[in-house]
Amino acid sequence: MQSYGEVAVEQMAREGAVVVFSVSTCCMCHAVKRLFCGMGVHPTVYELDHHPRGPDIHRALTGLLLSSSASASASSIGDGGNASLLPVVFIGGKLVGAMDSVMASHINGTLVPLLKEAGALWL
Amino acid sequence: MGFGYSINDQQHGAAYFGELEEALMQRVDGVEGDGDTKYTNILPTLEIFPSWSMRYQQIHGGDLGSAGKNTASEVESESPLSRNQDSSEQTSEKKQKNILMANDASVIGAAQNNKLGAQEKRKITGSMRKEGNLLDAKTLRRLAQNREAARKSRLRKKAYVQQLESSRIRLQQLEQELQRSQSQGLFLGGCIAPGDINSGAAAVFDIEYNRWLDDNGKHLSALRAGLQARLLDGNLGLIIDECLAHHDELFRLRAVAAKCDAFHLLIGTWTTPAERCFLWMGGFRPSELIKILMPHLDPLTEQQLMGICSLQQSSQQAEEALLQGFEQLHHSLADTVATGLPANDGTLSYMDYTAVALDKLANLEVFIRQADNLRQQTLHQIRHILTTQQAARCFLAIGEYYSRLRALSSLWASRPLQNFAANESGWSTATDVHVIQQPSKPTNLGASDKLCAEKGIISGSPIF
Repeated sequence: MQSYGEVAVEQMAREGAVVVFSVSTCCMCHAVKRLFCGMGVHPTVYELDHHPRGPDIHRALTGLLLSSSASASASSIGDGGNASLLPVVFIGGKLVGAMDSVMASHINGTLVPLLKEAGALWL
Repeated sequence: MGFGYSINDQQHGAAYFGELEEALMQRVDGVEGDGDTKYTNILPTLEIFPSWSMRYQQIHGGDLGSAGKNTASEVESESPLSRNQDSSEQTSEKKQKNILMANDASVIGAAQNNKLGAQEKRKITGSMRKEGNLLDAKTLRRLAQNREAARKSRLRKKAYVQQLESSRIRLQQLEQELQRSQSQGLFLGGCIAPGDINSGAAAVFDIEYNRWLDDNGKHLSALRAGLQARLLDGNLGLIIDECLAHHDELFRLRAVAAKCDAFHLLIGTWTTPAERCFLWMGGFRPSELIKILMPHLDPLTEQQLMGICSLQQSSQQAEEALLQGFEQLHHSLADTVATGLPANDGTLSYMDYTAVALDKLANLEVFIRQADNLRQQTLHQIRHILTTQQAARCFLAIGEYYSRLRALSSLWASRPLQNFAANESGWSTATDVHVIQQPSKPTNLGASDKLCAEKGIISGSPIF
């Protein structure tokens, strides 16, 4: 039985080739947005602090990250407050992960093919 | 407690009270504006109601005593402030009261009654007859001034208490910081004195980093030996993997240090000046490292070259993004610290910005962690792209590069500064760089030549 948050996340993650869950005041979220813009990608951004069901979505994202294998960020979630978990990135509807997963996939060359596959990047 | 001063006891302390009388004269003259004799002018200060009869004086001697006590306690409690903040008029009045309070108590009414000389009695009865009031104008003014003084001293007391409050908060914070540092100091097993606030995570990291450097040197020696021995790829690969794991170990140490003291990593006192100057987010900048190494990785295949170039490009993009996020953090923090400037009420402003600012500072650790993540991924990707032989040479080159920077730092630190005075043009001669081993003989071209030759330093270059 899925919670509201989980359903919402699934739905929202499919609404763009690149979807970023963020908080408007978070500097790391700003960094990930700049990263995509620098690559010529225009992500769909959801600012959870401006969303009416923000906390539910946040909780669902936390659960997803903890259970997914794509979290080198899992260790970071345990440590601090909520801020360390965002931003969370979905490409082509699939979870990529938090900031370090995004960076890691960019460095090892898997990010660009993912973006191209999702239609977010041409060339 | 009360006024123990007695005119009739001059023989006991006339000299001591001589100055007091002078001070009282100045004070009284300024306010009262009359030039009566010493004794008649002193008494209005001592007795608030000089025109009252003896009976009233006896009663109000008690009141005076209590009033005196009140002002005395106020004065004593705020004496630190009164020294700084009083106007001169008030200060002299308070000082006089202080001196008077310090004397032995006696029943005011009776004592003062005895002090009344003939002149004074005449003056008092004269004024009484003139006004026809029990309280004459001077007395009213005196009362008003006392009220004013009491009000001001209450305000000063309030300000002092607020000062104490903010100091108390600061003290609490310092104690917490001390506790934290002490508990971190315990991890070293008592190597670091527990009383030192600046020890703790920073010192622990410094020590562990130096130990890491030593171990890294050993790994590099093993690599060098492996290359020279032309080991098979399998065996050489093992040594390389050990090297890489050793780097991973450093990132783990840095993660721990970043949690306790992010500033320490960013500021870079754990590294040498030449390295620190070009520090990026508390460490090396991956794209720069690739740029430095690339010419030395030849021969590269087409595929490898493309891999390295795209690695460099991705790294640059990631670095740029992190940097922009970091700059936004900086601006956000600056805005927070600057809220409500200039401060109207010191205590309140201090409380307001600190909570938000501390929250934002917590992001420093996150940025360092992401930068380290970038560095770590880059090193691993380099290993992935290159062949075993190339990777071995690459890691050796990285190690050698940083040890050269460290050597450069110590050479720079020991360069001769006394030649600045001797050589007015500021341009060194060939001899200047060689003073390291023989500082007392700047023109000696001796054994230090060898040191410089080893390090590849060009002589004749300007010191600045």
